[in-house]
Amino acid sequence: MLRTIIAREFLNNILNLRFMIGLVLCIIVTVACIMILAHDYRQEMKDYSARMNLQDEILDNYAIANEYRLIKMVRPQKPPERFRPLIIGIPGDESVGFFDDNPLPILFPPLDFLFIVTIIMSLLAMLFSYDAIAGERQSGTLRLVISNSISRTKVLFGKFIGGAASLIIPFILSLLVGVLYVSVNPAIQWDGSAWAELALLTAASITFITLFYLLGLMISTFSRYSSTSILNCLFLWVLLILVIPNVCPYISAQLCRTPSIKQTKRRDREIEIHSLKVAREYMKESIKKFKLKYGTLFSEFESMKFGGVGFLIDAKPEHEKAAQQRAEADPEFKAMMDAFREEGKKAQKELIRIREESGMLWEDLETKAAEQTKLAKNLACISPFANFVYVARDLTGTGLRSLDYFEQTKGEYQRRQFHSYVDKKIDDAREKDPEFEEDSFIDVSDRPRFVFKEEALKDKLSEVLPYWGILVLFNVVFFAAAFAGFMIYDVR
Amino acid sequence: MLKSIIRKEILSNLLSYKFSIIVILSTILILVSIFVMYRDYCLALENLDILRAESDDDVENIPPTPLGIFAKGLDENLCRSWELEAVGVEISSEKQKSLNDLFKLFTAPDLLYIIKVILSLCAMLFAFDIICGEKETGTLRQTLSNGLKRPILIIAKWIGGFTSFILPFFMAVLLGTIFVTLSPMVDMNAHNWVKLGLFLLSGVIYLTAFFSLGLLISCLTHRSSTSLVISLFVWTILVFLIPNLGNILARQFVQIPTVQQLALKRERIMNRARFEMKRIPEARPDYKEREEVLLRRTIAEGDQLDEDYRNRFNRLVKVSQNITRISPAAAFTFLATDIMGTGMAEERRLKRAAQQYRDIVVEWYTDENRDEESKQPAFNYQRSSVKEILGQGGLSNCLILILFNILFFTGAYVAFLRYDVR
Repeated sequence: MLRTIIAREFLNNILNLRFMIGLVLCIIVTVACIMILAHDYRQEMKDYSARMNLQDEILDNYAIANEYRLIKMVRPQKPPERFRPLIIGIPGDESVGFFDDNPLPILFPPLDFLFIVTIIMSLLAMLFSYDAIAGERQSGTLRLVISNSISRTKVLFGKFIGGAASLIIPFILSLLVGVLYVSVNPAIQWDGSAWAELALLTAASITFITLFYLLGLMISTFSRYSSTSILNCLFLWVLLILVIPNVCPYISAQLCRTPSIKQTKRRDREIEIHSLKVAREYMKESIKKFKLKYGTLFSEFESMKFGGVGFLIDAKPEHEKAAQQRAEADPEFKAMMDAFREEGKKAQKELIRIREESGMLWEDLETKAAEQTKLAKNLACISPFANFVYVARDLTGTGLRSLDYFEQTKGEYQRRQFHSYVDKKIDDAREKDPEFEEDSFIDVSDRPRFVFKEEALKDKLSEVLPYWGILVLFNVVFFAAAFAGFMIYDVR
Repeated sequence: MLKSIIRKEILSNLLSYKFSIIVILSTILILVSIFVMYRDYCLALENLDILRAESDDDVENIPPTPLGIFAKGLDENLCRSWELEAVGVEISSEKQKSLNDLFKLFTAPDLLYIIKVILSLCAMLFAFDIICGEKETGTLRQTLSNGLKRPILIIAKWIGGFTSFILPFFMAVLLGTIFVTLSPMVDMNAHNWVKLGLFLLSGVIYLTAFFSLGLLISCLTHRSSTSLVISLFVWTILVFLIPNLGNILARQFVQIPTVQQLALKRERIMNRARFEMKRIPEARPDYKEREEVLLRRTIAEGDQLDEDYRNRFNRLVKVSQNITRISPAAAFTFLATDIMGTGMAEERRLKRAAQQYRDIVVEWYTDENRDEESKQPAFNYQRSSVKEILGQGGLSNCLILILFNILFFTGAYVAFLRYDVR
C-alpha cells in the first residue's frame, strides 16, 4: 500500500504545472550557471598563471638582499577553487583590500549552485508540499484515503517519499547535465577527492531540500486550508532564508563588541613609547649611580659608548673593541662593565615586561573577534540556510575555512621554507662578497616554490559534520512534528 | 461605484489572514532592520573617530552617510581609509570595520534589501489572487453581471489592493525613521531628507511594478494556485536570477584582470624604478633631474595601467548594468543606492576624485618652488547632490521602473478585458 501511495504522490506531482516549471527552471538555470562559471574558471586560471609569471618576473629581476623586503615581495597566489564552476568562493582580504576592487558582487551576489539550492530548490520544495495534506482535505480525497484500512503513518511516509522523489528528480537531472559539462571540459581537472566532495555536496543538498519539503508538510498538517498553509510556508521561508542569516552577524556585533584594529594599534604604539621611556629613565638613573660610584673611570667608559653593553645606547665596533681591551687590562674596569651590563639587562627586562601588555592587547582582540564570529555562526544555525552554506562552502573549499587554510599554508611557506632559504642565500652571498649590501640584487631563481594543496577531505568533513547533523536534526524534528500533526488531523 | 469597489477591496484585504501575516512580517522586519543598521552606523562613526585621531598618517577617508542605515550599498567600501602611493591608490592595510568574517557570507539586512526582496514578494502575494481568486469563489461573475465596466473594476481593485498593502509599509518606515532621526548620533540635513524621500518614492514605484505584475499573472490564470506558482517563479527570476546572473554574465563579455594581478603589475613598475634609480650615481651633477624624470615616468606608467584597468572596469559595470536592468530589482538597486549616495555612481566618483587628488599631490610634490614646510594639499570630498544623481543615470533607472509599471499594468488591463469570468 505504501508503494501505491508513493507512486500516486509521485505521479500527481510530476503531472503538475509546478513540476514542469520547476524542472525547466532548474535545468536552464543550473546548466547555464555551470557553463558560465566554467568559462569564468578558465579566465581565472589564465589570470592565476599571469599572476604567477608576474611574481616570478619580479623575484627573478628585482629581488634584493634585504630579508624583510624580500619576504614581503613574495606573495603566494591562491589558485581559483576547483569547485569554482559550481560555487563562487568568498573573496579573501587580499582582494577586498584593494581600492580598485569590483564592488558589483556586494550589490548582487553572483549566481551559483548554492543559490540554486538555497533559493530555488527550497522554494520549490515548499511549493510541492504546502498542500500535501490541507489541499487533499479540501478536495475531499484525504477522507477517502483514510476511510480505507491504511494507517496514517503510511500515508504520511508515502507522501514524504513520493513528494521528495518528485522534487529531487529535477534537481539531480540538472546537476547531472551540469556535471557532465564539467567532466568533458578539458580545462577542469577533478581528481577522486573532488568527485567525492561533489557526491557529499549532493547528499547535503538533498538533506537541505528534504528539510524544506518536510517543513511544508508539517505546516500543511497544521493548516485547514492550502491558502493559509502557503502563506505560513512563505512567512517561514522568508524568515529562515532571507532574514535570520543576514541579521545574525549584526546582532553578534552588538552583543559581542571588539575593539577596532586601529585602536589596538594606537594603544600598542603608546605602550611601545612608554616602555622605551621607562627603559631610558632606568638607564639614566643607572648612569647617575655609576657616575657617583666610579667617577672618572665611568667617564672613560662613557666615552667608549659603554662598549655596547648598555641598553638603548648605540656603540660602534671600535667602541666595543676599546672597552673590551680596557676591561682585559683593568679588573676594576671589567667589574664596572659587568655591573653596567647587568643594569642594561634589567632595563631590557623592564621593557619586555611592559610590552607584554601589548601582546595581550592583540591576543584580546583576536579572542574577542573569534568570539564574535563564533556567536554569529551559532546564532545563524537557527536557520537551515546558514547550516547548509557552512557545509557546502567548507566541503568544497570555497568558504571561510578555506581562506584560513590558505593563509595558514601561505604563512608556513613564508615563515619556514622561504625564510630559511633567504637567510642561507644572504649568508652565502655575504661570505662570497664582503662588500655585499642590503639593497644589492640577489639571485633567487632556485627558491622553493609555493604550491597550494587542497585541505584533506577528512579534515573538511570533521568541520562540516556538526552542521550537517543540525540539518538532519531539522529533518527529524519537522517530520516528527508533521507526524504528530497528522495523527490528530481532522480529515473532514 | 469606483469608490465602493476600492472600499470593498481594502476592507476585504484588512480582514484577511494574508494581510495580518504580511503586516506583522513587514513591520517587524523594517523595525529590526532600521535598528540593526542604525547600530551598525554608530559603529562606523566610532571607527571614523579612531581613524581621524591618527593624525600622523597621510590616510584619507570619508565619513559614513546616515542614509546608509536605509540603503547600505557600497558605503563600507566608500568609507575605507586609503593612502596615495607612487603607483596607484592603496587601502590602508588594516581592516576597517570588524573582524567578524561572517559578514562576508550574508547580505546587509537594510531597508533596501527588505523592499527589494521581501516586500516585492509581499506585493505579489497581495495581488496573485485578485482576479483569479474572485473567479474561483464566484464573486467576480456576480460583480460583472451588474452594470459595472471592467476597466473601472480592475482600476479599483488595483487602487484598493495596493493601498491596503502600502499603508502598513509606510507606518513601519515612519516609525523607524522617527526612531533614527531622534537619535543624537544621526545628523540628517535637508539634502538627506530629500534623498530619503526620493528613495521611498522609488521604493513605491518598484513595489507598484510588482503589484501590477501579480495582477497581470492573476488576470492570465484561472486558478489561484497556478497564479501563485507562476508569481513565485517570476519573482525568483526577477529578484534573484537576472541581477545575479547578469553580474557573472557581464564578465564573459569584458575581460578584466583581477585586482591581485593589477597589484603585481604595480609592484613590477615600482621595483623596476627602484633598480633604475640605484643605477644613477649620486655624484652625477644631473642626479636630481634624472631622479625626477624617472619618478615622473614611473607615475605615468602607473597611471596608464590604472587607466586601462579603470576603462575595462567601467565597461564591465556598464555591460552588467545593461544586462541586469531587464529586472526591476536591479534597476531599483542602482537607483536607490545612487540616490542614497552609496551606489556605483558614488563609487566611480570617489575613485575619480582620488585620482584627481593624486595628480594634485604629485604636482605639489614635484614642484621645485614648493615651500619645504608646506603641508600636503587636503582631500575634500562631498557626496553627489540629487541633481547630479539624476543626471548620472538615476533618471534612466527611474524611467525603467515606470516603464515596467506601465507594461505590467497595461498587460493586466488588456488581459482582464478579455478574461473569461465564468
